[in-house]
Amino acid sequence: MRVIRLLLVDDEERFVETLGKRLTARGLYVEGTHSGEAALALLQARPFDVVLLDVRMPGMDGIQALREIKKVQPLVQVILLSGNASINTAVEGMRLGAADYLLKPAEIEEVMAKVEEAFEKKRLEEG
Amino acid sequence: MGGRGEIKAIAPVGGRSLRTAVLALAALPALVLLAFALLLALTGGRRPGALAGLLLLALCAVLLASIPLILHLLHRLSAMERQGAAFYHELTRLAKVASLGEVSSSIAHDLNNPLAIMNEEAGWVMDLLQGAGGDERAAREEIRHSVEQIQIQIRRSREITQRILNWARDTDEPAAAVDLNLLLNKTLYLLESDLQRVQVRVVKRLASVPPVAAGSVAELRQVFLNLMKNALDAMGETGGTLTIATSSSPGEVRASIGDTGSGIPPEALPRLFEPFFTTKEEGKGTGLGLAISSWIVGKLGGRIEVESTPGQGAVFTVVLPARTSEAMEPCNGGSHAGHPTAAG
Repeated sequence: MRVIRLLLVDDEERFVETLGKRLTARGLYVEGTHSGEAALALLQARPFDVVLLDVRMPGMDGIQALREIKKVQPLVQVILLSGNASINTAVEGMRLGAADYLLKPAEIEEVMAKVEEAFEKKRLEEG
Repeated sequence: MGGRGEIKAIAPVGGRSLRTAVLALAALPALVLLAFALLLALTGGRRPGALAGLLLLALCAVLLASIPLILHLLHRLSAMERQGAAFYHELTRLAKVASLGEVSSSIAHDLNNPLAIMNEEAGWVMDLLQGAGGDERAAREEIRHSVEQIQIQIRRSREITQRILNWARDTDEPAAAVDLNLLLNKTLYLLESDLQRVQVRVVKRLASVPPVAAGSVAELRQVFLNLMKNALDAMGETGGTLTIATSSSPGEVRASIGDTGSGIPPEALPRLFEPFFTTKEEGKGTGLGLAISSWIVGKLGGRIEVESTPGQGAVFTVVLPARTSEAMEPCNGGSHAGHPTAAG
């Protein structure tokens, strides 16, 4: 099985750094960035399988970013990261094509499970 | 509306002008009577005449007959005013509970970020202890960094919870000396997370000598919070500039909240302070914010002035009687002075 390429997007830099390290330690290829705009630029530069995307960011928020991502990379699987207070936004995101959502703070096993599931989904869709 | 904005000053409670009208009505027959007596005196009572006597009698009768009616009207009016005050009092309480809900949900949101970071840091320490870090010295260094980060995030969380404590602690002390500069800064601080989310630049033009109003910190904060939230709503996703200004003139202090949003449509101006009137989309506004604000400000002997040019924004100015310089109590809320940052 090839390595899952994950893009982690959250405006909290330290969150991206540490979660990135933990997912790397679990065998993923991880790149991190801190805004929706930067995420779009990275997605246009090279392929990713799964995007972990925070819904609440300054500037382009997660929902706007999700819309744009689905335009440029329809096959990439987006998992929304959301706090309890923005759960409605996460549910709306599912309607807009997000593969899944995770409530922050999340257990690493749950993050891994959802990322792997999303990756499987992408492979099936790619055929 | 041309280049200049439209200015409208608002009388907060309608009952007062009605009362004046009733009193004027009562005074009218008395005045006529007085004029008549004067006329009689001037003519030297040469021809007192039956007609004049009759008129005098009739007027006296009208005056006497109207006394119970006038008294009744006055009584009804004060009852109405009392009911009105009770109604607004209840509304203010409800609005406060509602805004407490909003503030706590925004704070819960803010707490989630440090919690999520601490969760990852603690998890990473666990990973390292289970041998994820390679050599031992590097792992120790990693663990130290993570623990430091947890401490940083704990401090950050403490600041966030402090905000809700400050909010809850401010009491309803009715006639405190309120430093408007401090209160505006603290109110802005409550909205910090909203400010960060939208593209809003904050410009402060605060008087160098803090204007001091007589009023209740909790009530006035409610007013400023309402005005600031409206300003942010008016600017919406596109953002803009939020201007906070204070000034004093003899006997009066002013605090104004200006935005560069959509402005107020001229047809909405006359109804702006009516309860349940809102220009926001359904589910976004209750139409109570400005009604309650103008009631609170009116109760303190002040008024709210509105200036708006549609398409260019609006400025709401709260004008309050200045507090005569007595012993100045600090604007309560503990030692934590908020320093809101301009986001954008």
